[in-house]
Amino acid sequence: MSSCLVFFGALSLSLAVSAVMLALQNKPPLTAIVLLFNGAFGSLVAIQDCLIKAVPIFLCSLGVAVAFRLQIWNIGAEGQFALGAIGATWVALRFPDLPWFVVLPGMLVMAFIAGGLWGFIPAVLKLYMGANEIIVTLMFNYLAILFLDYLVYGPWKDPVSFGFPMTREFSASAIVGKIGHTQLNWGIVLCIFFGVAIWIFFKYTRLGYELKASGENIKAARYAGLPYHGLVMLVLFLSGALAGCAGFLEASSTINRLQPSIVVGYGYTAIVVAWLARLNPVSIGIASFLLAGLRVGLENLQLDLQVPAAFGGIMEGIILLTVLAGGFFIDYRISLGKKS
Amino acid sequence: MNLEILIPLLAAAVQSGTPILYATLGEIFTEKSGILNLGVEGIMMFGALAAFVSAKFFGNPILAFLIGGGAGAFLAGTHGLVCMNFQGNQVVSGLALTILGVGLANYLGTPFIGQAAPGFSPMPFPVLSKIPILGPVFFNHDPLVYTTYLIPPAMWAFFRYTRWGLGMRAVGEYPQAASAGGLRVTGYRWAGVLVGGCLVGFGGAYLSLAYTHLWTNGLSAGRGWIAIALVIFSFWHPGRAVIGAYLFGGVMALQLRLQASGTHIPSSLLLMLPYALTVFVLVLSSWKRQGTGVPSALGVNIEPSE
Amino acid sequence: MRRAMFIGVFIAVFTWGVAFAADSPMKVGFVYVSPIGDAGWSYAHDLGRQSIEAMDGVTTSFVEDVPEGPDSERVMLNMARKNYNLIFATSYGYMDPMLKVAKQFPDIVFMHCSGFKTAKNMGNYFGRMYQARYLSGMVAGAMTQSKILGYVAAFPIPEVIRGINAFALGAQSVNPDIKVRVVWTKTWYDPATEKEAAKSLLDVGADVIAQHQDSPAPQEAAQEKGVYSVGYNSDMSKFAPKSHLCAPIWNWSSFYKEMVEKVRQGTWKSESIWYGLEYGIVDITPMGSMVPEAVQKRVLAKKVEIASGKAKVFVGPIKDQSGKLRIPKDTPANDKELLGMTWFVEGVVGTTQ
Repeated sequence: MSSCLVFFGALSLSLAVSAVMLALQNKPPLTAIVLLFNGAFGSLVAIQDCLIKAVPIFLCSLGVAVAFRLQIWNIGAEGQFALGAIGATWVALRFPDLPWFVVLPGMLVMAFIAGGLWGFIPAVLKLYMGANEIIVTLMFNYLAILFLDYLVYGPWKDPVSFGFPMTREFSASAIVGKIGHTQLNWGIVLCIFFGVAIWIFFKYTRLGYELKASGENIKAARYAGLPYHGLVMLVLFLSGALAGCAGFLEASSTINRLQPSIVVGYGYTAIVVAWLARLNPVSIGIASFLLAGLRVGLENLQLDLQVPAAFGGIMEGIILLTVLAGGFFIDYRISLGKKS
Repeated sequence: MNLEILIPLLAAAVQSGTPILYATLGEIFTEKSGILNLGVEGIMMFGALAAFVSAKFFGNPILAFLIGGGAGAFLAGTHGLVCMNFQGNQVVSGLALTILGVGLANYLGTPFIGQAAPGFSPMPFPVLSKIPILGPVFFNHDPLVYTTYLIPPAMWAFFRYTRWGLGMRAVGEYPQAASAGGLRVTGYRWAGVLVGGCLVGFGGAYLSLAYTHLWTNGLSAGRGWIAIALVIFSFWHPGRAVIGAYLFGGVMALQLRLQASGTHIPSSLLLMLPYALTVFVLVLSSWKRQGTGVPSALGVNIEPSE
Repeated sequence: MRRAMFIGVFIAVFTWGVAFAADSPMKVGFVYVSPIGDAGWSYAHDLGRQSIEAMDGVTTSFVEDVPEGPDSERVMLNMARKNYNLIFATSYGYMDPMLKVAKQFPDIVFMHCSGFKTAKNMGNYFGRMYQARYLSGMVAGAMTQSKILGYVAAFPIPEVIRGINAFALGAQSVNPDIKVRVVWTKTWYDPATEKEAAKSLLDVGADVIAQHQDSPAPQEAAQEKGVYSVGYNSDMSKFAPKSHLCAPIWNWSSFYKEMVEKVRQGTWKSESIWYGLEYGIVDITPMGSMVPEAVQKRVLAKKVEIASGKAKVFVGPIKDQSGKLRIPKDTPANDKELLGMTWFVEGVVGTTQ
């Protein structure tokens, strides 16, 4: 219950601080909040937009949560996302004429492996060379994005797009379609699938339990015979693989090709979401939706109040800080009397 | 290699490495006390903006530089608050600070994009800049670079010979023992966080006051993260931090010069050099001396005991 | 009596309707790919927006820093749903999303900058910046002594490459031995990197620095070394008064005003517009006093020639870096070739990747 309080407390505080900042810049704070909500949730179309945006955020956050549970700080979701997109694109470009039930699973698998690999390598470097995974995964972000750049400016450049950096448009068989008449795509199904799978994994499997135990106390876990090395590798692979799937969906369904602007910071938002949701898959679902809403609603603020685009980063940062501070009140009972 | 190309490259390495050096030294100072602050990138950006805006309003670059440091300390202070008073996870708090710091700098700095502010210009050092080779490389820069020559030895002496330096190291290695021995752990850690944050802020201020005199979004471009990696590369030793920072400055300058000299390597790949090198260097240093030099209690919060 | 009343009511309703239509302001929306404060590409467009904001009966709005892809589609949909009448999208990558939105809102006029796809209610537009670049190249060519010009460029996309080529051709028209060295920064606005890039060019002997970047940092670098520079997007002489020779600039105001008028009067039709010097959509700033009179005269004369259509920038024989003939003798390149230019002319040192 108290974690729910912290959850909403953090969001509210962030909104309040943001309102103050806007007021200081002579923008009407209440109107802004209303615009934010309206833009995000005010219509069926808006909610659809939020859901679409929540998909990649959700998958990345799920991956981040898996790693964080073992206290492995995977900051590389952004790069793993990119690698997944690259892997999926490779399949789409190589086999444009095969039917969708061959191409799409192929893209998914390739994205899974590519993203997973991008998480796996830092795991190896950590376990066998002692390299801090925070820095390695972060540097890998830059490397992945530059690699994507290299591909779309060079070998994969679209011959029709007048030399602009993007791949060919994917053939119809490589595009994840929309559900019925809505704007939502079938990627949502993937989210539900992975979400449930991870939830079961955490709650009901022995491995999932071992993750939590090892995360909390490495030495004790080792003493109890838990396979720490194996866990780290599994966790980082899985983490990267999930982010990779998000990349596949963005490339295939949302943009229908690979281009540099596919990377928009979902990997970093994922960290905020995972922490906000205390690494719980169900809460991650809700938090992803809300933070997607934040991004969508912010565009409304920009359009109607000319609030600069950078505002979103501030709100996300405040949310994370407040959640962190709020965690104090969950983990430690505050006694008002003196200890005897 | 042609000296005519080498000397400007080395000089560029020194100048390019200076902001990284400030940040690395600051983070070393913080980590020595046992606090891990991953918010370096955000603090650098925030310090850069604060310095830039101050320079515009007050017209005094030195004052602006100091304000930049102050802003850095202020932002680092929130990290200290969250970690020490609220027992927040240090890793995640640092990340939050990065997101927040970068966001604040980009947002508050939006009205200033594309504007110039008075800053520091190159000031050749009186006699020393005439020395062949060493002169142009080290003594033909702005005054802030010369300041960085003084900080590493001062820091080294501080940690080695002064009572406070030793106290801080004790707090970073064995906080429980230090506390039992009468040292005020939180006091030292606050000093570590604030002074470290100030130095990181100086690094950011350097970017907007000396390296260029302009402001833009994303001025630091990942330098803060490289600084964090360099802390490990330097084994928490200020002297080695200098080598690391100049090495990185050099790589960043090198990839541009390779392009200018007409190489056929795609620029995206060349741009990877600094980051790939960071990984390489990190792996190598962690492998060779696993664990040496790390303050043992780094990143671990002290539970409230009263 | 009845008939008079009828006519009276009809006139009243008609005038009221007209008044209403005239009263409801035209809403014009802009989508920018970068923050407007960058003093560069988006800033230039925004100046154009401000000039139509000043028009009677027109309100404008914009969203900046919109990534290409689904975000831009959503932004445009948002504008469309809010009944904007005219929407401008100012980056190539907005093309496909705009097309999708245009199909859903046939009553709204969409205009896309730097692309090629059109629809009944969607047109595209661009400016022949390369003409202004050519002129700036002539100036740089006349002022260089080392015969090496440095070019700090952002991304290897056709418009940047085209600009570099035009610059090189302009310089080579003064002296065929001039070389242009290119460094890619992979960013539109990062003063630190841009300055460093400029310095790296200065270190290999360039004595004029030109740029396809949005910050004045390369100008700073040139001034610090005491050499010349060519700006971009806006007059950058205030940042580097001693080195700034001139700058090719955008001037979108007249164009945007023309489009607003056309839509307002219902005379707009979908077409691909590529205006040049003759329209004033691109121009070159007044040259600095360090440029000799004779040079200035020559450049301005050339400007008149190009504007009148007498002279063209890309007319053969033009060979690429590898020596292959790309544009045959006496043949002007057609627009398609220009729009998709991904190769450098002879005399340019650097890769297009």
